[in-house]
Amino acid sequence: MKHSEKVNNSAVGLDVGTSRICLAQRVGEEYQYETQLNAFVTIPFSKITEGVLKKEKVPHTVTGPEIVVHGNESDRFADLLNVETRRTMDKGVLNPAEADSLGMLRKIVESLLDPVKDHQKLCFTVPAAPLGAEDNLTYHEATLRQILSDMGYEVKSINEGLAVVYSELESSNYTGIGISCGGGLCNVCVSYLSVPVLSFSIPKAGDYIDSSAATITGERANRVRIVKEDSFHFNGFFADKLQQVLGVYYDEMIQSLVQGMKQAFTNARNLPKSNRPLPIVLSGGTAMPEGFRDRFEKAVREAELPFAAADIRVAADPLHASAKGALVAALADL
Amino acid sequence: MHAVPLIPRAFIERRAGQIVDPVERLRYLRRTAVFLHPPVPWRKRRLPALGLALLLACLLIPGRKVSGKASRVKSGFSLRSLTRASATTADIFPDVWLVDKSSDFETYSNGLRIDDRFTAPNQKRVFYPVYQRGAAVADIDAEQPEWRSEPAGIVYHTTESDQARFTVDENARLKRIGKAVIGVVQQNHSYHFLIDRFGQVFRIVPEQDVANHAGYSIWSDDSVIFVNLNSSFLGVAFETQTHQGELPSANSAQIHAARVLTEMLRNKYRIPQSNCVTHAQVSVNPDNMLVGYHTDWAGNFPFFEIGLNDNYGAPPPSIYAFGFDYDPVFIHATGVRLWQGLALAEDQVQTQAAARGVSVSQYRATLQKKYKEILAALKAAAIANDNQT
Repeated sequence: MKHSEKVNNSAVGLDVGTSRICLAQRVGEEYQYETQLNAFVTIPFSKITEGVLKKEKVPHTVTGPEIVVHGNESDRFADLLNVETRRTMDKGVLNPAEADSLGMLRKIVESLLDPVKDHQKLCFTVPAAPLGAEDNLTYHEATLRQILSDMGYEVKSINEGLAVVYSELESSNYTGIGISCGGGLCNVCVSYLSVPVLSFSIPKAGDYIDSSAATITGERANRVRIVKEDSFHFNGFFADKLQQVLGVYYDEMIQSLVQGMKQAFTNARNLPKSNRPLPIVLSGGTAMPEGFRDRFEKAVREAELPFAAADIRVAADPLHASAKGALVAALADL
Repeated sequence: MHAVPLIPRAFIERRAGQIVDPVERLRYLRRTAVFLHPPVPWRKRRLPALGLALLLACLLIPGRKVSGKASRVKSGFSLRSLTRASATTADIFPDVWLVDKSSDFETYSNGLRIDDRFTAPNQKRVFYPVYQRGAAVADIDAEQPEWRSEPAGIVYHTTESDQARFTVDENARLKRIGKAVIGVVQQNHSYHFLIDRFGQVFRIVPEQDVANHAGYSIWSDDSVIFVNLNSSFLGVAFETQTHQGELPSANSAQIHAARVLTEMLRNKYRIPQSNCVTHAQVSVNPDNMLVGYHTDWAGNFPFFEIGLNDNYGAPPPSIYAFGFDYDPVFIHATGVRLWQGLALAEDQVQTQAAARGVSVSQYRATLQKKYKEILAALKAAAIANDNQT
């Protein structure tokens, strides 16, 4: 028998983050993404409002006296109504303080994914256990698995940091450190030839910066997030107080992340031997501001980590790196 | 329980680096991960006290070399010194004898029953050439091989024919397909023996004849190298099919039949276990100098169930003796058990090149040149033989 090459199966990757859910698919050689905010907002029911939402094709659900707007449009309505968006997730897992988190999460997922009948492969991201704290991920992962299985998918999960490695570190044979700086958590994974050897999360991330800055400035956290994503950058000369406060909390977050890495590496046993410095890739919306990489690198150099860091870079597409990595894992049928 | 083979990290990294598609590369790495050498602590690599003591002891013992690899490089190197990863136990030949023989069937003492009704005689095996592996490959005289006449080994194949479900309601179809397969292999003199889905053993080409089963192929035992195994090895085919992305398989009836057939053949011809191999292990393509042109039983061959040592771990002589290479597609088509053999063969090529003070590519070129000389000599001999007859 003569050998022949194998054709990839169709599959999808889903990055289920605290602030956004991102779907990745491969069409030919191209990766395509679709993102929804993992948030919702309730507005009082009126027939006129419902009619307008329908006309504008805004994803929503009528629940008795309220209309729930979910996904990307929730931001706009929250800003319009001067209220906070509500979150289905908090610190990387289902939000225990939000009674309707499960139902809303299902709605948002359904706005991205169609049900399938042919057991299409799907890989979704899950956070790592918080550093020094108890693993509390079982319910979250099982719930997501149930939602996605009910839609007909053949479901697997992947550590979010590992997904970053699979997305970005092909050139080093998937050896290095993937860091996803998201809304609820910073997820870190050390991978050795594609095998995760150490993973953990740090509970200080984008939401921590937003809420801390909001407390100081008196702004709503949602408003802080919009400003942060639109215009914040590290340049040392802040245009206003909010920018200056954001810089302070960003620095604190980076320090927590780097010290967490130091602690995790110092305490870890049986990490593989490597003569080469490890590449580090940063991804996620919180890693996007200009100057973040430099700030992080400075902190890494100052911290004297117990390993040599090689190239430190931001992912080519930071908002989609985790979803792409989940897709790569699904395609590889891991 | 069989030990899991360990594959050097450098080998895995080098091969992975040749796989362009990121998904394929990831798949390859995850499949090989379990075969990596066990991890050791990452942080400061201190020489433990015990290790230091042993090192000092080694240095103080006269004539003792610390590094096996270094010793090979320093001493003279010949192909005979190559280690085999398999052949872990001594060869014991099963005692099997012919119990009954009629014009249609043979019955043996181990329960083997051979159906002779479809035998198709072919060209007689008179002599076939072998090349001594005691000397360096460069010293082999392509024009002056040794000549032998008895079968020296077995190559296992897959028919890659259509498969019906193995259920009672498909019985008629199973029989119909099986009969068609016999017809095809009989017409082409494809194998010496065929084992059908029900475990029936059919003699297709008599053992004293040549079957067209191995094409361009290379194997070696502890003393000689075999080139093009149609004459020197017997071909045994399983009626099975390899589905895309999977490894082949055989059912329990076929495995039993292969076991008793192998016992009989090994006893009759004194075939060593190390010469019982799969087509994927021996097949080469001289056009591109890559191994694995055919990938029959590229993985999952039931060596142990058939009563053999796992030969997948043996380094392919095509690589270490004649400088063949392999590509990621072959890696994808093969099972992980075979990769250990590939890694060993590559390691041996590097060691041999270092011993001669030449680069690996230079050394490979020398080996390939010798192979092409042998191939040319074989072709010339075949033409001369045809002209005589």
